[in-house]
Amino acid sequence: MSTFMPYAYFQCPCTDSFPQSRNLGDESPVSVSSSFDQDDRTFDPRAPRANYSLYPLEHLLYCEDCHQIRCPRCVLDEIVTWYCPNCLFEVPSSTVKSEGNRCTRSCFQCPICIAPLSVSSVEPHPEGLGAENLTVGGPYVLNCAHCYWSSKEIGIQFDKPNGIFAQLAKIKNGGEPIITARERRKDREERNRDTSAGPAVDEDGVQEERAANLDPNEILDAESQFSNLKAFYQSQLAEASPTSALTFSGGDYGYGSPGALSRIMGLYTGGSFADKKSKSKKGMMREAQDALEGLQIVSPTSEDEIINRLQTEGWDSTASTVQKDEQSTYTRFINDLRPIAHLLRTKRAKRCKTCRHILSKPEPKVQTTRFRIRLVALNCIPSISINPLSPLLPGQKSAFLVTPLKPTQFLLTFTNPLFEIVKVNIATPAQTPGRFANKVTVLCPQFEIGANTDAWEEALREGSKGIEREKRRTKAEATEGQHQAEAGKVWERGRNWVSVVVEVVPASLSFEGPDFMKSEEMLRDGGALREDEDVLEIPVFVRVDWEADAAHDESGGLSGGGRGESEVREKRELAYWCVLGVGRIAQD
Amino acid sequence: MSSSKRVSTAPAAPKSPTVLAPTLVIGEHAVLTGTYLITLGSNTVVHPRTKLNSTYAPITIGNNCIISERSIIGLQSPGSDQGMTIENGVVVEVGAIVEAKSIGEGSIIEVNAKIGKHAVLGKHCKIGPMCEVGEHEIVPDFTVLFGNGMRRIDRSGVEDLKLKMVARQVEILRKLIPNNLAKFK
Repeated sequence: MSTFMPYAYFQCPCTDSFPQSRNLGDESPVSVSSSFDQDDRTFDPRAPRANYSLYPLEHLLYCEDCHQIRCPRCVLDEIVTWYCPNCLFEVPSSTVKSEGNRCTRSCFQCPICIAPLSVSSVEPHPEGLGAENLTVGGPYVLNCAHCYWSSKEIGIQFDKPNGIFAQLAKIKNGGEPIITARERRKDREERNRDTSAGPAVDEDGVQEERAANLDPNEILDAESQFSNLKAFYQSQLAEASPTSALTFSGGDYGYGSPGALSRIMGLYTGGSFADKKSKSKKGMMREAQDALEGLQIVSPTSEDEIINRLQTEGWDSTASTVQKDEQSTYTRFINDLRPIAHLLRTKRAKRCKTCRHILSKPEPKVQTTRFRIRLVALNCIPSISINPLSPLLPGQKSAFLVTPLKPTQFLLTFTNPLFEIVKVNIATPAQTPGRFANKVTVLCPQFEIGANTDAWEEALREGSKGIEREKRRTKAEATEGQHQAEAGKVWERGRNWVSVVVEVVPASLSFEGPDFMKSEEMLRDGGALREDEDVLEIPVFVRVDWEADAAHDESGGLSGGGRGESEVREKRELAYWCVLGVGRIAQD
Repeated sequence: MSSSKRVSTAPAAPKSPTVLAPTLVIGEHAVLTGTYLITLGSNTVVHPRTKLNSTYAPITIGNNCIISERSIIGLQSPGSDQGMTIENGVVVEVGAIVEAKSIGEGSIIEVNAKIGKHAVLGKHCKIGPMCEVGEHEIVPDFTVLFGNGMRRIDRSGVEDLKLKMVARQVEILRKLIPNNLAKFK
């Protein structure tokens, strides 16, 4: 039980708006009031589903068109920019689609320790320090400054210091060249040309032709095997049904082509020419036969080599799980690891799911961290902070470690970010839901919070009347007087904040005692304390209403609604559940 | 020890016996304490506010070493008085604590690393930032400690180049650090 920090989480209302049927099946077994209507039910912060709807205020957005809180679950993400976190190069999304989500320049991470790698020359330059800056100097390697790994260890060296990604794609670990997909395709085309040109070629003849270029028994890596298989079956499909050749070329279904259209129409009109043709051609398909076609036969002795290697090189030569996870293909040994190209990152814009308005939009440039649009809930709904009312006693370890059955008072401070005066109603259940029912009383459930006006303006307006005086009065009471919170009265009040007192009688965490004292649920499952069950969490229903000035729209940041009638002040209302974690209950 | 300013009004601790090479660079605020002999080799750089403590065992530091500020060298509590040897070309980074018996040539002890009592480090080792070597541990040559206690053997074979780089760094530090060799003689 370390330090406890009080927290206030807000429930996004999007979880309520789901169709009712969602709630029937997976309703938590803990919830007692499942028969109640959604609106009447107390929000249970311990229900398993509550985890997914509670957010700290900072994580929430606010849609000014729907006048609703928006959480990460009810916004749509849109990618604005892809960029490499290492070189901050902005990658066009077309490149991301074709090349994948890794940096295709020279940004690599160490496969051993994930530190960024740097390119350096192998040749010790006579001038030492400046060797890396000069373009001359023999082969280059990737170096890790952190763990001293270098690509020399996996037998990879580069001719040029830039464009490492492209160079690396052509070299296997150990320095052998990789036959790229393009080269394979070229080879394949060549072969096809030869076979079609040559007179009366039987299967063996073809085999000989191939051996000249590529070994049909070569051991392929996962990528080239896939590309081989794909090419083979595409060609098979094209040969098998020439009418639909258009349809399948390039792996695309291409419904726009006339051939495909007639085929689809044929399905409905009950068989036509296209259908017959394709049927007659069936049976021409064959399966892949060798490595050139993507077939890899697992030899029974293939694992012996691995076992041998394990026996000779030992545990130290095997890659750890973390290292394996970073690799794109399955690797067992450290020598098989490859440098990891940096994963690209994104900047995202967020839209409201219901009205599609943009809630947050960053600047597309990578170097700037500014936002063009950012409608955060922090600017639109009152924030809540929790403080203990009584000062820390000498013996007390933490103000948020509460003693069972002893009434404890907390201060809830509501801060208004709006430029209007807001009325706040807060409601809590008399007893918190869960196995240990804590008694909760809000001493002042209804109050008004002043507008978030300019502090200077406020000071000028002060003078005789004002809130300041009232604040002083209440404060004075608190310090000299009975040190007791009065029911129905605000504890303290400032320019745009109000604090009220909430009194909690924490439940005892013991399972002993007569049965009649226990809650239903406790009787049902008994047993030990569950994880974090000693945290005193209070569900609070907050209803905020204020009068928004329709003319005030732009400066107040409250758009939408009241378009024609600019003089009319509009009433706005917002209601949501919060969960306040006020402390931990001490265990005896 | 009597290193902070507040204690300086008290009679200064007796100067520890030293053998200092004439080409040594040592900052004025370096702290050399203890009763055993402290030997510092030629072309070595000792930054200001380095603490060398020979209270429990003698300290020998070779040539071309860099001992950075706020690092603590020497046994901090009684142990065997066999002494401690740092070979040539060793770099001890900021805040490292070294209580080893010996540290091999060309090793680097990174920021805030800790070398336990009587540990033996081989040649060209690298102890990563915040890494720890246990007491009496023997670390073979070319070992690299990094991350969360991970280890590997460095086979890149560029140790000569690294030694050259250290020498170059010493050259530059020689110009940057005001030398006050006379104070410690």
